[in-house]
Amino acid sequence: MNLHQKRQRTSFLIFLSFTVPALATILLSVEIPFLMSVIYSFTKWNGLDKIPQFIGLANYIEIFTNDPDALYALGFTLRMAAFTVVFTNIFALALAVFLDSDIRGKNALRVAFYIPNIISLIVIGYVWRFIFTKGFDSFYEMTGLGVFMFSWLGDKDLAFFSLVLVRVWQQLGFYLVIYIAGLQTVPKDLIEAATIDGASPVIRFFRVTLPMIMPSITVAVFYSLSNGLKVFDVILSLTSGGPGNATMSIALDIYRTAFITGRFGYGTAKSVVLFFVILVLTVFQVKVFKQREVEV
Amino acid sequence: MRQSRISLSITVILTIIALIYLYPLFLIVINSLKTFAEITINAVALPESPQFSNYVETFKLMKYPNLFLNTLIATGIGVAGVVLVSSMAGYKLSRTRTRYSWVMFIILIAPMMIPFHSFMIALVKVAKVLHLTGSPWGLGVMYWGLGSPLALFLYHGFVKSIPRDLDDCAMIDGASPMRAFFQVILPLLQPVTVSVIVINAMWMWNDFLLPLLLLSGSKKALTLQLAAYNFFGQYKVEWHYAMAGVLLTIIPAVMIFLALQRHIIKGMIAGAVKT
Repeated sequence: MNLHQKRQRTSFLIFLSFTVPALATILLSVEIPFLMSVIYSFTKWNGLDKIPQFIGLANYIEIFTNDPDALYALGFTLRMAAFTVVFTNIFALALAVFLDSDIRGKNALRVAFYIPNIISLIVIGYVWRFIFTKGFDSFYEMTGLGVFMFSWLGDKDLAFFSLVLVRVWQQLGFYLVIYIAGLQTVPKDLIEAATIDGASPVIRFFRVTLPMIMPSITVAVFYSLSNGLKVFDVILSLTSGGPGNATMSIALDIYRTAFITGRFGYGTAKSVVLFFVILVLTVFQVKVFKQREVEV
Repeated sequence: MRQSRISLSITVILTIIALIYLYPLFLIVINSLKTFAEITINAVALPESPQFSNYVETFKLMKYPNLFLNTLIATGIGVAGVVLVSSMAGYKLSRTRTRYSWVMFIILIAPMMIPFHSFMIALVKVAKVLHLTGSPWGLGVMYWGLGSPLALFLYHGFVKSIPRDLDDCAMIDGASPMRAFFQVILPLLQPVTVSVIVINAMWMWNDFLLPLLLLSGSKKALTLQLAAYNFFGQYKVEWHYAMAGVLLTIIPAVMIFLALQRHIIKGMIAGAVKT
C-alpha cells in the first residue's frame, strides 16, 4: 500500500466515524422499518406470528376492492387536507399582510396568533371538545343563536367542518410567520415603483407582492398539505373518528387496523398506500407551484 | 396623521381578532378554576371564587412529577442525540466532495419524504426487538433517527458558509478531526443548533403518537401528552379536573415559549424555509 492509498483510507475512516452514527440511527428508526413495512404489506401477519404468511398483492387488492371504510378514509383525508390547506393559507397570508405593515404591537400580535401552535394537537382536540359541548351550550343560553345548538361533533358534515376549523386555528400561527418572513423579502423599491405607476394597493398586492412571495407560498402549501394528509391526533381527541366512521383519516385507519384489529400485514399495506398518496400529491404540488415562481 | 389613524385602527381590529382567537384558551383557564357545579350551570361565566384545589387534586391524580420527568428525559435524550449525530454527519458530508459522500447524503435525508405513519407499525417491532419500548430513555433513542434527517440537512447547508481554513488551522495545531470539530466548528454552528433544538424539543415534548405506540403498556413510563389523553378519557364528566389537566399539560411549553418566543419563532421558520 503506498502513501496515497493509505491517506485515502484514513480519510475514509474519518468520514465513516462522522457519518455512521447518523446512518445507524436513521436506518434504525426510519429506513429499516419502512422497508419492513413494504415487505409486510405482501403478507398476512397478526403481529405475533414469527413468520408472516406471504399472500402477494391480496392486501392491496382488498384495500381497493373490498374495504369501503379504507376508501372512505382516503376520500375524507383528501377532502379535509384540501379544506385545511386552502383556509390556512388564505387566512395566514391575509393576516401576514396586515402584520407586516407598519403597525403598533405587531410583535405581540404575532406571538398571540402563534400560541395555539405550541400546544399539542391531542390537547387542542380536547379543549375544543369542551368548547363545542359545554361552551356552546352556554353560548346558546346567552345568545339564543341556533348555530350553538347544532351538533358540531355529532353530525357527519358538521364534524368535518369542526375538524377543519380546529386544525386551521391550531396551525395558523406557524404559516402566518412563514408568510411574514416571505413578505419581508419583497424589495421596497419594487412596491414604490408600482405605487408611482399608479397601482392601487389591491393591484400592487396581486401583481407585485404575490408573485414575489411565491417561494413562501410553495413552502407553506407543501407543509400544510403534507401535514394535512397525515392528520391523526386532533381527530382522535376531538371526534375519535366519529360519528360512526365519518371522520376517520387514513392515519387513524392504519392505527386501528394494526393495533386495534390486529391485522398488521393489512395495516402496513395501507401505510404504503399513504406513503404514495403523500409522495405523489406533494411532488405534484411543488412542481406546479415552482413553475409559478419568478426571478427578480 | 391620516396614515397613523389607519395604522391605529388596524392595530385595534387585529387585537380584537386576536382576543377572539385566544378566547377558547381563556375559557379553559376560567373553567379550570371552577367547581364542577359551576361548569354545569354556565361554562362562560367567571368562577365565583377560584378553586386552586382543582390543580392540587389533578396534580396528584395525574402523578404529574413523574410524567414531567419522563417527558423531560425523552425530550432531553432525543434532542441531545439529534444534535450530536446530525451536526457531525452534516459537517462531514458538506466537507467531503466525493461520490460516496453524495450517496450517503441522499440516504440520510431521504427519510424527510417518508411520513411517520407509513412505517410506524414496523417501527414498533424494531423498538421491541431492541428493548426500547416501555421507557422514556428508549423513546428518546428512537427519536434520534426520526429527527436527524432534517437537522442534518440544515447543518449541511450552514457548514458551507464556514471557511475551510478553520478546519485546517485546527488540524495543523495537532487536534484530531473529532476534536477539531467539537472545539472549533460546532460552536460556530450555533445558529443551526438553536433551530435544531427548538424544532425537535417542541415536537418531542408535544408528540403523542410515538409515545402511544411505545409506552402505552407501561404506566410508569407515560409522557405528559399520553397521560393527558388517558386522563381525559377517564375524567370525561369531571370537566373541572380535565380542564386543570389541560392547563398543567400545556403550561411548561407555553411558559418556555413566552420566555424565548423570539428564538423559537425564528428557529421554527429557519427549519421550514430552508428545505
